[in-house]
Order: sequence, then structure tokens, then C-alpha cells
Amino acid sequence: MSHGRIDLIESRCTSCMICARECPVWCIHIESHTEVNADAPTQQTGRGPRSRTRNVLDSFIIDWSICMYCGICVEECPFDALEWADAAVPSADLAGLRHDIDQLAPT
Amino acid sequence: MQAWDWFGDRSLMVVDISLACCAIEMEAATALHAVHDDSAPRGQVPLQPGDTVAIIVAGTVTDAVVAHVEQIIARHDAKVVSFGVCASSGGPYWDSYAVTKGIGQMLEVARFVPGCPPTPAALHSTLEELRA
Repeated sequence: MSHGRIDLIESRCTSCMICARECPVWCIHIESHTEVNADAPTQQTGRGPRSRTRNVLDSFIIDWSICMYCGICVEECPFDALEWADAAVPSADLAGLRHDIDQLAPT
Repeated sequence: MQAWDWFGDRSLMVVDISLACCAIEMEAATALHAVHDDSAPRGQVPLQPGDTVAIIVAGTVTDAVVAHVEQIIARHDAKVVSFGVCASSGGPYWDSYAVTKGIGQMLEVARFVPGCPPTPAALHSTLEELRA
């Protein structure tokens, strides 16, 4: 396994932001929103009923023009949602080096 | 100007401007992939008029050296390759007061090769794309 790129396993990502915060060069950008989990029972709290929610990942961008391939995000992810992959990121224009979920998540 | 005849057929002459640690990976890339002229120092040969030239900017371009880099590139009708994240966007130094945030701000860049550093294979495949 060579360190050519980092892949995202989207189904494992909980949008917890730990990778983005641990990244020394801040090259990870995450957008997410919260949805009510209809399957989970509503909890009764002292301030009334409270629904359970979960994060839904909207966008997960790695800017390969900044990433220094240190792998700290891979190490720090509590859910193993990031992993090294062989194929190098192809050279391109600068905008083309911002990879979102569709390019980071292997099909 | 001395250059590597990268593929050994003068289809692409490669000049490197190595400024920081990416210089070491440039050496590895030239040792692995470039065709060396054994009769010449460093295996490099002089450029001739009409050559297709690729200039590789490898490493951190500080504001202090950017004028020199521009000068060298202005002397040649060359395709510029930004090698590594420092030359591409500033890389780990993107918020430094003394580092240029990517040579694309000053120059037309043919290819950005991502990596810190990029692998020799990544450079070689990029040069194959630029080959005349």
C-alpha cells in the first residue's frame, strides 16, 4: 500500500469533525446538517419531550493542493472512515484538486 | 540552461527549480525516470532553440525568491509544472506572511502535481501528458 491518496468511506462518517480539527494544515472541509431520527423513541426530559437526532453528511472536501499526506486524519478518525489508497491524485488545475464525496468515496 | 532530456528523444526537456525539500524528491524522480546523458555533468544537456521545455517549480516559493523564479521562467517558452503543495497553494505555509500562496497567482501553470512531496511516478505521468 502506497500513500497515494486518502479515501472516504462515507457510510462510516458521522460528521464529528475530528479529522478536520486535527488536520495540521486545515485542508478538510465538512458540511453537515442534523435530522430527527424517526426510528428512535422520543425521550421525556425535564424540559419536555426531546427527539433523538443524527448528523447527515452533506459535503466532505479534501483540498489536495494543501494536504501534506501526514495521515493524522486517518489515525484520528474514531470510526475508520478514512483510509489510505494506492492511486495518486491526478495533477490538474487548482479547482480540480478540491475533491468532494463523489471523488473521495470509492464506488 | 541545462536540462534533462527526460525521455531520451528530445520530446520534452525538463528544467527544475528546486527550492525546498521537494528538491530531494525531484532528485529521486530524475534518478528513477529521466534519461541521463552520461557524458554530461548531472546527466543534463544544454537547451536548444525549438525544444519543448517543462520547468518544474519544486518546493516552497517564498516571497523573497518569487521574482527570481519569474525571471527564469520568463526567459523560456516553457510549460510550468507546480510540483508539490507548497508551489501549488503555499501548502503547510498557506497562512505564512513570507510564502507565496501558489505560483498560479503569478504564472500560467500547465499542471499542478499534488503531494507533500509528490511521488516520482506522479511527476513522470504528468510529464508524459506534457510530452510533445
